[in-house]
Amino acid sequence: MRILIVEDDAILARGLIRILESEGYAVDTVTRGEQALLAMQQERFDLVILDVGLPGMDGFEVLRRLRAVPEPAPVLVLTARHALDDRVRGLDLGGDDYVAKPFAMSELVARVRALIRRSQARAGPKVVHGPLVLDTVARRAYLSGAPLELAAREWAVLEVLLARAGRIVSKESIMQAVVGWGEELSANAIEVYVSRLRTKLEPAGVRIRTVRGFGYLLEEPKEA
Amino acid sequence: MTSGRSLRVQLLRRLLLPIAALLTLGAVVAYYASIEPAQAAYDQALIDVGLALGERIDVVDGRYVLDLPDAAERVLRTDRYDRIYFRVQAPNGTPLAGDRDLPPAPADDTPKDGVIAYDDTYAGNPVRAVAVLVPCGGKVCTVQVAETTVKRRHLLRDIVLSSLVPTLLISIAALVILWFGVKSGLAPLARLSEQIKERSPRDLRPIEVGQAPEEAKPLVGALNDLFGQVAEANGNQQRFLANAAHQLRTPLAGLQAHTELALSQPVPDSCRAELEQVHLATVRTSRLANQLLALARAEPGGNAAAGMEALDMRRVVEGVADEWVHRALARDIDLGFELAEARVRGSEFLLREMLANLIHNALEYVPAGGHVTVRTCMRAGDGDAYPVLEVEDDGPGIPAEERELVLQRFYRMPGTSGTGSGLGLSIVSEIAASHGARLEIGTATPAGRGCKVTLTFPATPL
Repeated sequence: MRILIVEDDAILARGLIRILESEGYAVDTVTRGEQALLAMQQERFDLVILDVGLPGMDGFEVLRRLRAVPEPAPVLVLTARHALDDRVRGLDLGGDDYVAKPFAMSELVARVRALIRRSQARAGPKVVHGPLVLDTVARRAYLSGAPLELAAREWAVLEVLLARAGRIVSKESIMQAVVGWGEELSANAIEVYVSRLRTKLEPAGVRIRTVRGFGYLLEEPKEA
Repeated sequence: MTSGRSLRVQLLRRLLLPIAALLTLGAVVAYYASIEPAQAAYDQALIDVGLALGERIDVVDGRYVLDLPDAAERVLRTDRYDRIYFRVQAPNGTPLAGDRDLPPAPADDTPKDGVIAYDDTYAGNPVRAVAVLVPCGGKVCTVQVAETTVKRRHLLRDIVLSSLVPTLLISIAALVILWFGVKSGLAPLARLSEQIKERSPRDLRPIEVGQAPEEAKPLVGALNDLFGQVAEANGNQQRFLANAAHQLRTPLAGLQAHTELALSQPVPDSCRAELEQVHLATVRTSRLANQLLALARAEPGGNAAAGMEALDMRRVVEGVADEWVHRALARDIDLGFELAEARVRGSEFLLREMLANLIHNALEYVPAGGHVTVRTCMRAGDGDAYPVLEVEDDGPGIPAEERELVLQRFYRMPGTSGTGSGLGLSIVSEIAASHGARLEIGTATPAGRGCKVTLTFPATPL
């Protein structure tokens, strides 16, 4: 897995490199937007970590140009909080995720992992989440290597949670994903599916947390 | 201008004195203008009597005789108000008839058209008299006619009254007109001062010059210049603070990265404790930088109004829920949500910062196993529905006597652990104020347990 860091602050860049390398990623770093675009034309990266406040061409301009490239790498935007509200979110300039500075490393690493997993899921049929493996083509699930029986609705709920593992998923968005056009499904039904999933997954240490009044959260797998 | 000296009183004082003087002068002029012809008319009546008497002087055998029957004399002496006196003298001064001791005309007066008019006293009373020179037998006889001054005094009184009363009335009317005139003339000024008085200290927008009276425009202009300067100075300060806080984030992110890295490696225990302290301090400093930035933007002049937009607080909460749920899970606290639509006009950045401070506080003070609930809804009251944002917990709560104090900057409740900066709730309070929202700190249960912070936003979006 190869990550490109675009950050002009040398100390922060060095910190990021060491943390990501310790997580097993190959890391390259540039300090300017122009260099970043050049690097991305020449090499293939699995993820770009992009600081918004770059000297010269700023991060948003880099993002805009990057979107013109076929099959762009996912981008994690590093931003100071107040640039975020009006731009990254509001204008949706195409960052895949963002982290506000200053941030905890664990949070950054979690976002990196999730982004890379998501882009791989698009490329390959298998989604891996700790001991849980979903083969989306064969529609088979495995837990700790053993086949796992899942009802169609359970499968659908799990797929939604997996796609956003480590993040809260609202009940409404689960319902939207699970229910086809013209069908009706109560919030209670979702609770039933989640509780069945819990019974099946928790023995292997895969936990679904309830966020009261909001939805659910599939916990990041504990790294060995 | 010294304070307390009313502009109206000053104006009145300056206007009334000259006006009173002018009116008095007018009265005096009117008095003299009317008294002269009246006096002259009465004098003329006396002269006519004198001339009539002169007609009756005959010269018989070289002697001067006045032919005045008693009946005629009675008629002559009859007057409604005054006593009439007369004396007819022959050219040599011999009195022919009438009151022989009537004082003569002053010797130094020269006759005008054969008449001398003069004032004197007779029989103890002031009299007005005329001496008429009439031709008689080739010589000149003198006829004096005098009358007491009752009529004339009446006339005088009448004239004084008739000129003074209108003058007085006019004066009073002028006073009243001036009083109300000045009042209504100064009304725009009063409105202007009301307008300024009603302003909140956050409001540094210029006053509309168009509404101000012409004379007050320079004043409004000067005020607006001052407002502008204050706003600019304010803005500069806010921008500096915001910039400084903003610039701190990247180095802080670097510092945090490296302390976390160091802690993730095998370190001697003696070192680890120190590193953990450094890390804790870094995290706290990062939070402080965020808070200062929020404070700078929420304050008057911090340009909060520029970022105001119509938004649903429910969506704002949903946007930050993820971040906070992770922290709550890490502390084994149940962070829950009760979210209904609550539309307000606000700054998303500031509302998020407000939420961050409220949830952070709750997570900080609620023990493991506790509950924190974030709520958005519309709440009815006074016949209106108000958007409400509420954060409730079942932690130790804030004692009633501390609830005002915790809103002050850098205030920390006695006996609390040393992690906060004391800025959290003052930021909440500033942001509430910049949104026109009411902030209440109470307890979560009627029994007085827990803490509930309620923000009630204006019913009609600003």
